[in-house]
Amino acid sequence: MRENLTGVVKLLGISAILVALWVVMIQLTPESFLNSGNIENLLRRTALFSILGIGVAFVIMTSGIDLSLGALVCLTGCFLALFLKVDYQPYASATVYEVRKQDASLTIDPENLEVVPGVWDNETPPASAAGKLAPGQWVRLYQTKRSRSGMHRITAVEQAGTPGRVVLTLAPAPARDEVATDGTAIARVAPALPLQAYEEVAVADDKTDKVLTVPTAGDTVPALQARDRLWLADAKGRLKEQVIAAVESTPNGQSIRSDLDAALVADEWYWIGLERRQVMSVPAAILSVLAIGLGLGALHGVLVTYVRLQPFVVTLCGLLIYRGWARWLSDDQSVGFGNEYTDSLSWFSLGRFSTTLPWADPEWTLNVPYVFFVLVVVALLAMLLLNWTIWGRYMLALGRNEEAARFSGINTGGMKRLAYTLCGLLAGLCGILFAIEAGSISPSSAGSYFELYAIAAAVLGGCSLRGGEGSITGVIIGTALMQTLNNMITLLKIPNTIELVVLGGVILLGVIFDEVVRAVLARLGRGKKAK
Amino acid sequence: MIDSQSPSAPRLSVRQLHKSFPGVRALSGVDLDVRGGEVVAVIGENGAGKSTLMKILAGVQTPDQGQILWEGRPVAFANTRDAMQQGIVLIHQELNLCDNLNVAENLFLGNYPARVGLIDFFSLNHRARQSLAKVGLDVSPRTPLSRLSLGQQQMVEIAKALTIEAKILIFDEPTSSLSNAEAEALFCLIDELRQRGVGIVYISHRLAEISRLADRVVVLRDGENAGNLAKDEISHARMVNLMIGRDVSKFYQRRPHTVGDAVLDVRGVRTTAWPQHTIDLQVRAGELVGIAGLVGAGRSELLRTLFGVDRRVAGSVHLAGQIVRPNSPQRALAAGLGFVPEDRKTEGLILECSVTRNVGLAGLRRHSGPGGWLNRRQEKLDTLRAIDDMRIKTPSPGQWVKFLSGGNQQKVVMGKWLALAPRVLLMDEPTRGVDIGAKEEIYQLMEGLAAAGRAVLFASSELEEIIGVADRVLVMHEGRLTGELVGEQITENTIMHLATGGELPS
Repeated sequence: MRENLTGVVKLLGISAILVALWVVMIQLTPESFLNSGNIENLLRRTALFSILGIGVAFVIMTSGIDLSLGALVCLTGCFLALFLKVDYQPYASATVYEVRKQDASLTIDPENLEVVPGVWDNETPPASAAGKLAPGQWVRLYQTKRSRSGMHRITAVEQAGTPGRVVLTLAPAPARDEVATDGTAIARVAPALPLQAYEEVAVADDKTDKVLTVPTAGDTVPALQARDRLWLADAKGRLKEQVIAAVESTPNGQSIRSDLDAALVADEWYWIGLERRQVMSVPAAILSVLAIGLGLGALHGVLVTYVRLQPFVVTLCGLLIYRGWARWLSDDQSVGFGNEYTDSLSWFSLGRFSTTLPWADPEWTLNVPYVFFVLVVVALLAMLLLNWTIWGRYMLALGRNEEAARFSGINTGGMKRLAYTLCGLLAGLCGILFAIEAGSISPSSAGSYFELYAIAAAVLGGCSLRGGEGSITGVIIGTALMQTLNNMITLLKIPNTIELVVLGGVILLGVIFDEVVRAVLARLGRGKKAK
Repeated sequence: MIDSQSPSAPRLSVRQLHKSFPGVRALSGVDLDVRGGEVVAVIGENGAGKSTLMKILAGVQTPDQGQILWEGRPVAFANTRDAMQQGIVLIHQELNLCDNLNVAENLFLGNYPARVGLIDFFSLNHRARQSLAKVGLDVSPRTPLSRLSLGQQQMVEIAKALTIEAKILIFDEPTSSLSNAEAEALFCLIDELRQRGVGIVYISHRLAEISRLADRVVVLRDGENAGNLAKDEISHARMVNLMIGRDVSKFYQRRPHTVGDAVLDVRGVRTTAWPQHTIDLQVRAGELVGIAGLVGAGRSELLRTLFGVDRRVAGSVHLAGQIVRPNSPQRALAAGLGFVPEDRKTEGLILECSVTRNVGLAGLRRHSGPGGWLNRRQEKLDTLRAIDDMRIKTPSPGQWVKFLSGGNQQKVVMGKWLALAPRVLLMDEPTRGVDIGAKEEIYQLMEGLAAAGRAVLFASSELEEIIGVADRVLVMHEGRLTGELVGEQITENTIMHLATGGELPS
């Protein structure tokens, strides 16, 4: 019997079922099934789940199992959201340690702000600067623990008793006393500058851009950048946060384009420039998340091989721990990317390569999502590893008979760790892809059942849970089959409550088919027994 | 083929039994008679049809054609339960006991005395004691099975057969994992059962046992009766002749030859199993060294430790003067050691993989390019050469080794190592469960290795193998080397003496 005959027969069988399903769908609902969007969606979901399936296939081939995949996808997705979290902080601000209502004073540590001591006489016009705290200047008190944030004017600046600290006297006085008992910061204060000029510029026929002008960047005025934000506040405490669309340097200063509501901003408004800060750059975040996936996968491998725990137990605990970790990290709140990464991440996750087919209706386009190309790369690398390197051969060998592999001088523990590590890495990759596709992650439900879908696809695709068998093409076809079924349930308006029943039934049939093929081929093989 | 000289009528007869599996004819017209109170030995090379015949008798399989007669009446067994009800019990080579239960629970498994659904432990243990007494096994019925030695477990299995009043007992290679003392105890029990009128069918490769036990020998060859031997006709040479269908005047005898310098030098090694004893030994180039000893003497443990499978407690291993630290099989392999393990099915082979994959497995690393690229060509070449050189009988290199005979499987295990040309080959029971023809071929391969200047260290439980093949014999007893024998000193007598802890008479 040929080495891979069982594999080939199984692959042909599952492919035949897949094609049959397609034919049925084309017969029943040609418009909705062959719809460009539907095909694209099918390709996208097949790609995402195949990557996960390929990962778990390696583990299954070594006769292990990974139940933690869904939770790992969720956890890595949450990490990505946290690593790419964006926040906006004033370019210049000082820490507040004490607020006294009685004296209308703040005790602050000016940090990088320049301090101009003195008392404001209500007459001299204040020398406003964003990097300075001077008498007569407006400031915004914010991030307070108990009082309201608001705009105040500095009436006096003097040195405090503690060296390095400064006392600001404000008008109006803060609403409440606040003293840090343990010497930690209780609020922050940032100097505000008066808005200089505001105009509307026509850019198209009936479209106008609103343009603000602020002073030229210098020592005390920050150089604002597109995607930074502005706080616009008035003395009454009204506050608007504005996204800066573009900044241009003009002789008059920095001219900022924004979608500001003209009616709102009038005289006596002040601005504070907010700097956009990302925890990590996009490449750094992606690499870190992949490293986390890889690390956790390697940890599974170590626990399975060195500590000799059962893979089922290790990854079952992983499932619980990662899910809980994700919920704890994110305070059980959805975490997402908002509109921050429309050019990079969303471009990739929603992007697609469109083409018309010469034999098809020119109206109809084949849309291949970029994610599908990621699958192609992953699948090619996985095939290379499995079929063309000794490591792949080692994994298959030890999956069949670990003892014999060990007695043949194979580092069986190392190979198993490699399999779990790869699985973790691919789960991390999937976490990234799923997170950017969805735009946000809800830690309590994201990735639920994914491990089962992945395992089911691997099994349908010819991986035996007894180990030692499997093909990458099979996993992809298995995934495609499951996704087609899923699609079928939606398009044929079968109640989707029955979805899991159908999936379970199909997997069961697949496994029965597997056994039948095995038995038949084993019988044929025995027939050729050498005499 | 009916033995007309026997006084009593046969209790069990089979006539013209045929059984085919897709593509292979296992039995074609086999006859067999078993009377009460006699031991019938059924022998034959692997694949001769012994196992199939026994499985049909025990109701595991049904024949395609032919009759089974029980006391002259035709019967048909649909399953093992039918056969057991008639009083036929097969004692498998691999024991069918649950080692998480105790002796009494095993004895009456499926047949517990019960009252209102609760097991009557008092009666269970009482009856168990009676059964154990019948087979002369002196253990408490409450002993967990896992605490018994293999020999004792076999006794439990026999006692279990006796609890259902077995009239025909079939033993399939019962002594393959027993020590000599345990085997002797089994023979005494078989003698006693014969006295009591139980009919016994005894299958074994060990012809010495058959000479000792059998009243009659039935030889099968290629699924047919090849001949019968009455008690006074039984001899080693005659049995071998009938089994292989040709004349083998003498058991394999090795030609003497010259040996070179020490290749393997083991200094002060302590194994995990016997940490209190140190072992020193040397094997020279072109030398075949046999390790003899009783089962449990620590031979396998020594070989496993040298190959890095078991942890080495102390000591060093030198290969051609250089120290190697065989802390794992990878290291041992890299240093130039090879190991043919005791149990080829679990340790030597990946049964559900092709001959190619199995032969290639150990050499993949050596032949791989940078970055671990698979060298399929080399793998194929190695396999074809192994099939050629070792005369491995397989329809194709892609055949699963599961479907090869025992001898060919063992050659595949050897082929895996020979492809790597190791300086030292360690072999644990090189011919266990291998038929006579293949045995001889394996001996020739071992000799070929020696002639090529390799060193071979092998452990064997078969004295004639040790005596026939080894240049030098090391004898082990309870974890230590008790003696070294060369040339004329190598006799069954001296080996057994040392193996049982005695000193050599000076």
